[in-house]
Amino acid sequence: MTQLLAIRGAERPPPADPREHLSSPVTRSVLTIQHRMLTAARDFLCGQGFIELLPPIIGPVTDPGARGAKQVDVDYYGHRYKLMTSAILYKQASLTAFDKIFCIAPNVRLEPIETATTSRHLVEFHQIDVEVAGASRAGVMQLAEGLVGHVVGEVVARLRGELDSLGRDAGTFGPLLAEPFGRRTHAQAVTDLHAMGHAQNPDAEIDWAGEAMLSRQASKPFFITDYPKGSRGFYDRENRERPGFLQNFDLIAPEGYGELCSGSEREHDYATIIARMRETGENPAKYGWYLRMVRDGIPGSAGFGIGVERLTRYVAGLDSVWQASAYPKIPGVASP
Amino acid sequence: MSTLRAEAFPESAVRARARSGAAGALPDPDEYGRALFGADPARCAASGDPIDRLRLVPPVFVPRRLDKLVDLAREPVYRDVELDTVVGGFRSTLPLYVSAFGSTDAASVSLGLAASRQAGRLGIPMVVGENVMPVNGYGRIEEHTGRSLLGRITAYADHALDGLGGVVVQQSTEDADAEVWNLVYSDPNVQPLLESSRLAFELKVGQGAKPGLGGMTVLDAAAATRLADRFTIDPVFGGGSTRVLRSSSPGTFTDEILRQQIRLMRNNFPRARVWVKLPPARDVREAALVAWEAGADAVTVDGAEGGTGWAPVAFLQHVGLSLGECLRRIGEHPSCLLVSGRMWEGARVAKCLALGANAVGLGRAALIAVDTDVEDGLVNLVECLSLELQMLTSALGKYHVGLLGLEDVWSDAGAVWSPTG
Repeated sequence: MTQLLAIRGAERPPPADPREHLSSPVTRSVLTIQHRMLTAARDFLCGQGFIELLPPIIGPVTDPGARGAKQVDVDYYGHRYKLMTSAILYKQASLTAFDKIFCIAPNVRLEPIETATTSRHLVEFHQIDVEVAGASRAGVMQLAEGLVGHVVGEVVARLRGELDSLGRDAGTFGPLLAEPFGRRTHAQAVTDLHAMGHAQNPDAEIDWAGEAMLSRQASKPFFITDYPKGSRGFYDRENRERPGFLQNFDLIAPEGYGELCSGSEREHDYATIIARMRETGENPAKYGWYLRMVRDGIPGSAGFGIGVERLTRYVAGLDSVWQASAYPKIPGVASP
Repeated sequence: MSTLRAEAFPESAVRARARSGAAGALPDPDEYGRALFGADPARCAASGDPIDRLRLVPPVFVPRRLDKLVDLAREPVYRDVELDTVVGGFRSTLPLYVSAFGSTDAASVSLGLAASRQAGRLGIPMVVGENVMPVNGYGRIEEHTGRSLLGRITAYADHALDGLGGVVVQQSTEDADAEVWNLVYSDPNVQPLLESSRLAFELKVGQGAKPGLGGMTVLDAAAATRLADRFTIDPVFGGGSTRVLRSSSPGTFTDEILRQQIRLMRNNFPRARVWVKLPPARDVREAALVAWEAGADAVTVDGAEGGTGWAPVAFLQHVGLSLGECLRRIGEHPSCLLVSGRMWEGARVAKCLALGANAVGLGRAALIAVDTDVEDGLVNLVECLSLELQMLTSALGKYHVGLLGLEDVWSDAGAVWSPTG
């Protein structure tokens, strides 16, 4: 019980050393829940005909869409390679092999120091990365909803004791398991935040504080759709009927836990991708292998990535996302 | 004395001011009472520069002086002119900033550090050029910190006045590969600047010395092979030469590309200011309006007469609008406009402020000043410029430099200065 009380404390300091963290009964419960979540996700996706691929760790380019974060450079026989910030480019390419793929992908992002106190940023984290050839945004939103529902349902059904030991009330998930997830557009979210007195930039990503405010008001997960173009990477497809808005979405957890997942229909037209690369300040020259594939043709697709540690934090009801990692790395903190 | 030369620039006058400070604003005091002085019409007329051809024209009736008189309860004098202002979102002691020193070895490491320290002491913003990171590294693990981008930032921050000035880090198209902005923004060493709202990122769309081209440097062929996968390496100096030309691309921009790049900067770096540097292009007004509308805190325009950089002869002689024409085309504008190009003394600065600029950048002048006196050269030069600016502004019957306007300038060609905006 002492351990439980400690968990509920404000602004949780990171673990002093790996032994203390790993031997804690809280960590053991959290990682047990996470293991069940990953097993459930694999069961769900494999049951729907998805192929699990092992994702690459390094490559000449990676996802540039990470807000303010620095990529990690690797000296690859004299070439500047990157640790994956996300598998997005490889997910699109992989659809030339299979129509429905997923991976549990490790990502590394040197996040801005200001994210050290959001309780939901880790430098090293994992995503359940899903991509479906020929899919629409609506199709993969439905898939994401089904996947999250299945994962949470499995934990509630099989690990009630672990949830109890963490003080997480399984009844909290009633609306998630019984009702469709909520939906609102980015423009509506901005209007809602302005009505709450929060100065949200209408051209930008919902900021950390704004997202937490919206999240706290909700009792079940909800989608935010149609982000403005200047807020995301070049691969999120622009709405042809509504220029300036993207065919994408985020999935936000309730109770203040914030973003769990980002997804989109993907751009796959070569000339459009080149123009979008310039709009996002990228130098197309460094995306050689990817652009050659796109030029020769890749399937249109839609997909998403669910943050494993963030989803674990929400399911287990944790104060900080680092509690959902065996070896957490908090932005700016040198740790094992 | 160093080997740095600037033949197309009033180098000796800048060096004299860098040594003597405010005294440089006046004739030699030893000549006082013994020589007769007066304007040299030939010097003014000889210049083809539209800003040089303008004159500042004080009025007889000075209602704002009356306001100041009431405020002070005594007759105002030139030292009562206030110079503090906001430059691209930063509080600044003066309507000045130090421009990036271009893609040239002239901006050597020690001069860059000296300029950083002195700009910090002066309380004016400083731009760090796109070339610093690829040439000298960032300075966190393996590189020598003093030489690096981080060295420049730290030198500024260590000497900065409380709450004044700021550091502006430039990035061009090829720099995006090195993620200069992401690196700076996520660096714990830079947090004090971020937390005091004194960090900006400047999107380099173009430059004065060679509008339409990217950055250029001359490299040893051996060093160039290392960069061949990122830059154009051109053996223009012939097979017998050990040196080659390294070029960046100018980058492809449309109005939508510029708009979205600025929005993405604001999205990704919400705590940093956004500056956009434009070349003296024929559509400079349209580009500036797109930048401001997308949320840029400042647009900087480099006149074709500006630039420390190494540029093809044809470009130096024949390409790009003069700064005066850029200001005329931009005209009325909604937000902060910063300009550079042959700035070193108060009259040209005052004219640019009157023509609509909010502040001006010192490029070559700053470099020559710190080359003249590594400890105080820039501070001395700025001290002299400040005195001139105070004298000129007060002569125009105004007591804040921000009040200078079109009514304060006149063209001897008889043409009315007619901005398009």
